[in-house]
Amino acid sequence: MTNSNSAQEPTVRRRDFLRGSLGLGAAAALAGCGFSGDTPAPAASTSPSGSAAPSESPAAKAVIDGDLVYFNWAEYIEPTVLEGFKKEYGVKVIETNYDTYPGMLAKMSSGNQYDVVLPGARFVEQLRNQNMIQRIDKAQLKNANQSFGWGSYFDNPWYDPNSDYSIPFSMYTTGIAYRKDKITTMTGSWADLWNEEGKGHIYVLDEADEAIGMAALLLGLDVNTANPDDLAKIKDKLISQKPYLRAYSTDDINNLAGGNAWIHQEWSGDFLNFINYTAEDPKIWEYIAPKEGMPVNSDAWVIPANAPHPGTALVFLDYLLRPENIIKNIEYLGYPLLAQGGEATYAKMVEGRPSLAIDLKNIDDTKVYRNHTPADTAARDTVWTEVKAS
Amino acid sequence: MSTDLQDAVAATLPGAKRQSATRTRLWGWLLLPPAAWMIVFFVSSILIVVALSFGTVNANGRPAFGTSLANYQALMNTTYLTVFIRSLVYSVTTVVLCMFIGYPVAYAIALHGGKYKNALIAALVIPFFASYLIRMYAWSTLLSDEGLVNQALHTVGFTDGVQFLNTPGAVVAGLVYGFVVFMILPIYASLERMDTALIEAGKDLYHSPLRTFFAVTVPATRAGVLGGVLLVFLPALGDFVSAQLLGGPSTFMIGNLIQQQFFESQNQPLGSALTVVLMLALLVFMVFYLRATQRQNRET
Repeated sequence: MTNSNSAQEPTVRRRDFLRGSLGLGAAAALAGCGFSGDTPAPAASTSPSGSAAPSESPAAKAVIDGDLVYFNWAEYIEPTVLEGFKKEYGVKVIETNYDTYPGMLAKMSSGNQYDVVLPGARFVEQLRNQNMIQRIDKAQLKNANQSFGWGSYFDNPWYDPNSDYSIPFSMYTTGIAYRKDKITTMTGSWADLWNEEGKGHIYVLDEADEAIGMAALLLGLDVNTANPDDLAKIKDKLISQKPYLRAYSTDDINNLAGGNAWIHQEWSGDFLNFINYTAEDPKIWEYIAPKEGMPVNSDAWVIPANAPHPGTALVFLDYLLRPENIIKNIEYLGYPLLAQGGEATYAKMVEGRPSLAIDLKNIDDTKVYRNHTPADTAARDTVWTEVKAS
Repeated sequence: MSTDLQDAVAATLPGAKRQSATRTRLWGWLLLPPAAWMIVFFVSSILIVVALSFGTVNANGRPAFGTSLANYQALMNTTYLTVFIRSLVYSVTTVVLCMFIGYPVAYAIALHGGKYKNALIAALVIPFFASYLIRMYAWSTLLSDEGLVNQALHTVGFTDGVQFLNTPGAVVAGLVYGFVVFMILPIYASLERMDTALIEAGKDLYHSPLRTFFAVTVPATRAGVLGGVLLVFLPALGDFVSAQLLGGPSTFMIGNLIQQQFFESQNQPLGSALTVVLMLALLVFMVFYLRATQRQNRET
């Protein structure tokens, strides 16, 4: 029954979705869509429209200048919020979805034009470095004070100094979910992913950063390390874990719901979603914030440099920042939004589960997954491949 | 299957000289749209993959064309060999299992299906209209520790349950289920075409049913079996969905490796190099297959 429940719930599991749609994505990529054209010389990709002036064009005004071309995860917004925008401003929303960030980047680089896009923080930095997104004039946003100027970490986040080019949206931590009815010997550490009681029922997220980051925290190393000695230690550590594992998987909610997982490296938002909508008995589930520290990651709205309707995009971002819309989105998504108006709503949702609480003023940004040089990325990736292939 | 095609081609050849020039030209024109389609969407993407396999990744994670051999050098790592051998073992096992399942099924339908033949074939094919991905998800749900199969086992006394999922067996089972129909259909087609009088003749010559089967039926359907082997083996070797959804911590296949490079690591050049190597390996099997069928054609 668990599974039929989960099938009916229109809950958002963008990370689930991400993996679930791989087949389709792969099919599309192999058919050449969004791929054949995504390798122009860097110079050509900065202003594919040809008409726009180089990146620092005068900031757009928040006035409706056409329909909204919207590019996001599928279902990663509360539906009535999107409907409300169409009605209130009398515009259409032309929606396209992506299922991975690299896929999103490929589509943007191959000249597709969008008004608003929601990249992960790491990708905001990449887009900014490539002059592919435009400066957002905060004076144009009536509700800018929801996100900025009250001491939030995101006034000046690592990926976009002063949030000049982006409006922060949602965030998540990575911790551990476990079943209290099966496991009694948790220690509140990442070492719990080597728990004897859970042997054969332990899952690690199938993502290089998450797996390497977890082992790095356990070993007292930097989550972003690319040092060969560090990576060798991390590799040994991860290989030592294999006898305990059931699988590497990002299909976390199904793993929890199907009874296969007793201990699962887990994203906070998915955990909240799971216990709120899918779990038969939420009380047996607990989320641990490991003492060695937790990775924290986020996403943010951007307006591409070649957006056909930057005015509408600004109106839309302003609309999303209205307190009532922030609340609706938090309740629907289960991810805390990076806005003052939403703090109380999220706090209420995680009442009694302090390990899920997030303080937007005190984010430790040393545990954020960063961009690396190509060589460092390759080194980290090789470790991950060797671990999975062994 | 391929003999069908070869028959068709062969049938047109002797007549070709007698055909009027206009008719030949018409065929040429009719070939143009599909040829254009193949060139634009198939040949060009393969060329891009080949070109990109010599490329690099820039500081912003974007691929760029180049003339570097670094991607191929990176593949000189025993890790990749391990994965390749594992994939090979899984796909050969899959082919063998498909053959043992597919042949009897095709035989039963073709020779004993009577008027229900077409309905039976439809019943086999229709489930395959549902996306492979969806069917794999269904399996992972059914076979999970608290899924329907284990619930049923529980009621008949297996209180500990059985762990089906996340094992090499589950991956192979997924592959077999996913591709068995590609084994059944070509064998069915060749059995359908076979003259059943041959079987009667075998029996008249005092062959046992088993000996008749191996001396008459199997050679007559060899092309179908070879076609089935190829149609199952090629997709199984490149598959990543089964290992992704049903596999465990140590069931990584070459398809997963490629998929990871494209969709997670932002390393399309390395993914392309892997793809080229996989395509070359598949080409070897393809050549082997073509030679095998040619030999058969010469013999018959």
